[in-house]
Order: sequence, then C-alpha cells, then structure tokens
Amino acid sequence: MSCRPGPSPLLAVDQLSCRFGGLVAVDQVSLQVQPGEIFGLLGPNGAGKTTLFNLISGITRPSSGAVHWKGMAITGAPSHRVAALGLARTFQNLRLFSSLSCLDNVRVGLHRHSRQPKLQALLGTKAFAKREAELRRQAWHLLESVGIAELADRPSTSLSYGQRRRLEIARALACRPELLLLDEPAAGMNTTEKGELAELIRRIRAAHGLTILIIEHHVPLMMQLCDRLAVLNFGRRIALGSPLEVRRDPAVIEAYLGSAHQEES
Amino acid sequence: MIDTTLLVQMLLGALLGLSVYLPLACGQLSLATPGFYAIGGTLAALLSTRVRILAGGESASGSGYPITSLLLEMLLAAVLCGVLANGIGAVVLRLRGIYLTIATIALVEILRVVSLNLTITGGAVGIFSIPQPFDQPAGYALFTLGLLLLVCWLCQRLAFTRPGLAMAAIRDDEIAAASQGIAIERWKRLAFVLSALVAGVCGVVAAHFLNAWNPRMGNFDASITTLAFVVFGGSRTWIGPVVGGLALTALPELLRPVGDLRLIVFGLVILLGPSLFPQGLITPERLAAVAGRLPMSLRQWLGLGKVTAQGEGTP
Repeated sequence: MSCRPGPSPLLAVDQLSCRFGGLVAVDQVSLQVQPGEIFGLLGPNGAGKTTLFNLISGITRPSSGAVHWKGMAITGAPSHRVAALGLARTFQNLRLFSSLSCLDNVRVGLHRHSRQPKLQALLGTKAFAKREAELRRQAWHLLESVGIAELADRPSTSLSYGQRRRLEIARALACRPELLLLDEPAAGMNTTEKGELAELIRRIRAAHGLTILIIEHHVPLMMQLCDRLAVLNFGRRIALGSPLEVRRDPAVIEAYLGSAHQEES
Repeated sequence: MIDTTLLVQMLLGALLGLSVYLPLACGQLSLATPGFYAIGGTLAALLSTRVRILAGGESASGSGYPITSLLLEMLLAAVLCGVLANGIGAVVLRLRGIYLTIATIALVEILRVVSLNLTITGGAVGIFSIPQPFDQPAGYALFTLGLLLLVCWLCQRLAFTRPGLAMAAIRDDEIAAASQGIAIERWKRLAFVLSALVAGVCGVVAAHFLNAWNPRMGNFDASITTLAFVVFGGSRTWIGPVVGGLALTALPELLRPVGDLRLIVFGLVILLGPSLFPQGLITPERLAAVAGRLPMSLRQWLGLGKVTAQGEGTP
C-alpha cells in the first residue's frame, strides 16, 4: 500500500470498490483519516466521491474492500449502525425532513440521545417535559452554532440554499459524531458564504473535537481548509498528500485540465 | 338524525381510520387493516360462541355476556394480531411503496379465502348469534367511544414524543433518517404492529355489536373504504382519519332521504374531497389556524402552539 501515514487512523478505507453493473464507480480506493484532521476529497464530476461517502456511511454496499472504524470492520453495516458509531454525514442534494421545522430537523439528529423512560413519555410527566425542554434547548444551541437559530420555528422548506446546508450540518452535529462527512457543503453558495462556511467548519471542528472528511469542488476553498487531500478520477485515487503536494501533482493537473495529448486528438 | 347504532359504526370507522393512519405516519401505505380486523372479529366470534366459560356461569345475572370476557377477547386479539403483525411485518416491510401496499392487499385476500374455506369459521355463512355484552346500542357507543379516546390519546402522545419524531423523519426521507441513527425497520414494524392491534381490537367489538361475523367483513372493499377515511380526513395528523372515519361512515346513512341519489352524492364527495383538499380535510396548517383562537394551555397540550426552545429556557 502506498499510504500509511499515522499509526492509528480513525477511519481506514482499504481497497474499496463499488460496481454498478459494468460501471466501476469506486475502484480500489484506499485512504486513512487521522483523528482531528480535515481530510478533503477532490475530483471532477462523476469521480466517485459521493459513492465513496455512501460506501462509508452504509447507504451503498461495497463490491469489495473494507472500511475500518477505529480498527473495527464496519464494511456494509447499515447506516443507522454507522451513525451510532459516531460517523455523521450531510448530503450533496440536501435531504432535510421537509414536513418538520428547523428545530425538529435537529431534534431528529438527537434521536439516539433522546431516549426517555417509556411510561414517563406516555404519561407526559414533569421529568419527561423537563428533559424534552433540555433536548429542545440543545437543538436550539446547535442551530445557534451554525448561525440560524432565529429560523428555529420555520419549516425547513422555507430556508435559502445556504441556510439549508447549515441546517444539515447542525442536524449532523446533533448525532454527536467523531467524524463528520460533508458532501459538497459549499454547493450553491457565493464567495462570501463559502468563506463563512470555511470559518464555520474550522469552528465546529474545534468546538466539538471533530475529524472532518469533506467533498468539495471549489479548489481554493479546499486548499486553504484541508490538512490533507485525496484526488479521485474515474473512481481511482490519483493523488494523496498535503494541498501543496496535490496541487503540483501532474496526474491532478491532467485530470482537471486534460493532457496535451488529449487536446490534440 | 344519527341514531346510536350508526354512532357505534362511526366510532368503529374512526378506529379503523387510525389503524390505517399509524403505518402512514412513517410513510408506509399498508392496507392490511381489514385483515387484522377480520382476525379480531373471527377470534371474538369463535371464543364467545364456543367457549362456555367465557359466557359466565348460570349464576351470572341476566343473559348478558360478561364484559370481562369481552376485555379478555380484546386482549387475546391484541396479542394474536401483534404477534402476527410482527412476523408478517418483518417480511412485507422490506417492500417499498406500492409493492408493500400490494402485499398487504394479498394478505387480506389470503385471510378472507382461508376463513371462507374453513369449517370452524362457518365458511361463507359465517358465525351467528354472537352473545351481547351490552343490551343497548348506547352501551356499545360508550365502550367504543372510550376505546377511540384511548387510541387517540396514544396517537397524540406518539406524535409528540421520540417515536413520533422518528416516524415523521422516516416518512419524509428514509435515507436521511437512517443516517441520523434511526433504525427505520424497527420503527416501521412498531407502527405496523400498533396498526394491527387497533384493527384487531376493533374487530372484537364489531363482532359482538354486529351479532354475526362472516369472511366478507375483511375484504378488499373494506381496505379501500378504510383508506378513503384517511385520504378524505387527511393523513398528517391523527385527527384527520378520525374525522374521515366518522364522516364517511355516517354519510351514506345521512343521505338516505335522497333515495337512490345517495350513491351518486357519496361518490361525488369521495371524488371531490381529495381534488378540493389534496391533503385531506384536516392538515396541521388548518389546525394551527383554528388553534390560534384556543386557550394557550389547550394549544400546548395539542402541540400546536409556537413553542420555541428559545422561549422555553435559553437566556
């Protein structure tokens, strides 16, 4: 294997492949995410980045290869199990709960932490109401931490694109993850919003002690945000390293700009 | 206009509406309700006509069937339907969307054909002279009303606790819900089992009330009728199916004065209801509009008030 940086990675993806019929969406990709780092996944459209996310988070089953979480194999585990282990994600195409308010979207994220004695919940006792209020307050603070607390009561469908992306991050944070998977969190944002988002990502990493795996198209944002980057193209990992190394990598330049050879033909 | 007999039918209709609503609350369109209704009804008919002990000794005053036996039948029906629904749910809930619906229709048909061909259930003729725990329809009305209120209360608690939120999340987006750590299979199965419990218990009461039971009680027509309750009333709150069940059971009887026209009027209502109110008569938005005029305490109990976390505790 070409990459073995740290001794005990938080997440290790090993020779992971995913085929859809004849199409190899992810082709023997290996990478290791170290605790506390912001790890970026770059690549042109259709490079297999989101599929890789789906394989890690248990939405799609890999055809071969393995995913290890803190040394434990979680390959092909169902999403709710993966989430319970401490991996939370956001979605490229935004998957908010459309019939729920912003606050309730975050409360759904608190699902695993909101268990209450059944009888108390049924009878709606004082203790239950108190704990419920506490959970609402937690949800509200999460909305506040991504800067949309004033929208708590609004239906999630009434938000702007950028606000929705923030709401998804708040919802993912409610799961109390150790690793946060962000799938194109800056899509549809303007330059100012992108800057604010980078700021937000750094802040939540510090506040929650998070490790972050992020997919993004916007290269400048990734260069300034990420500690390390992997570049995918046609399902294969073509580069891995610090932003500086990756930027100079000939394979990356070819993937993004095309080679001189291709230009001529 | 509404006599007590019709009232009992309306209340039973409301209960069946709630039985269809429960799986729908987490996005699963199951038409299995009449199947479990038939199981409950058949069980009650069999037990009360064949098991002597349940009818009470000769010493029991009058000819009435003991209410304790009725409650026991309800308990047995609940257990039987719950266990069956848990097992069947484990298999059929793997199906999504319309395929689940088709599988549940098949389930109802299988149960109907089985009970049509068994001698113990009386074949096509069914079971007659089921003993009466209540002398008057008013007794049934009160009992069924109590049952309906109990189920409504459960639905209300469900809607504003963790299970309700999980179910709403599953209804909106299964993949996103699973990614929040929600075991979607488990919650779907819970809703399916609760639906079966309500239908089964409802069947027990109906069997005694109707005095006779036959395989036609739980057929495809009943599936569609109960579905109409929910479509007409609205599927986003438990109040919708109750209103739909009450209204659509009463309507054909209330229209009797117009003679043969009533079928046409009934058809028109079924047709116009969903086209004028695509989300059903009762929606959370309409409830909120009405709730604006209610006292605050009632509003909070109904969970309709604007209760923000901000107002509740943040400085």
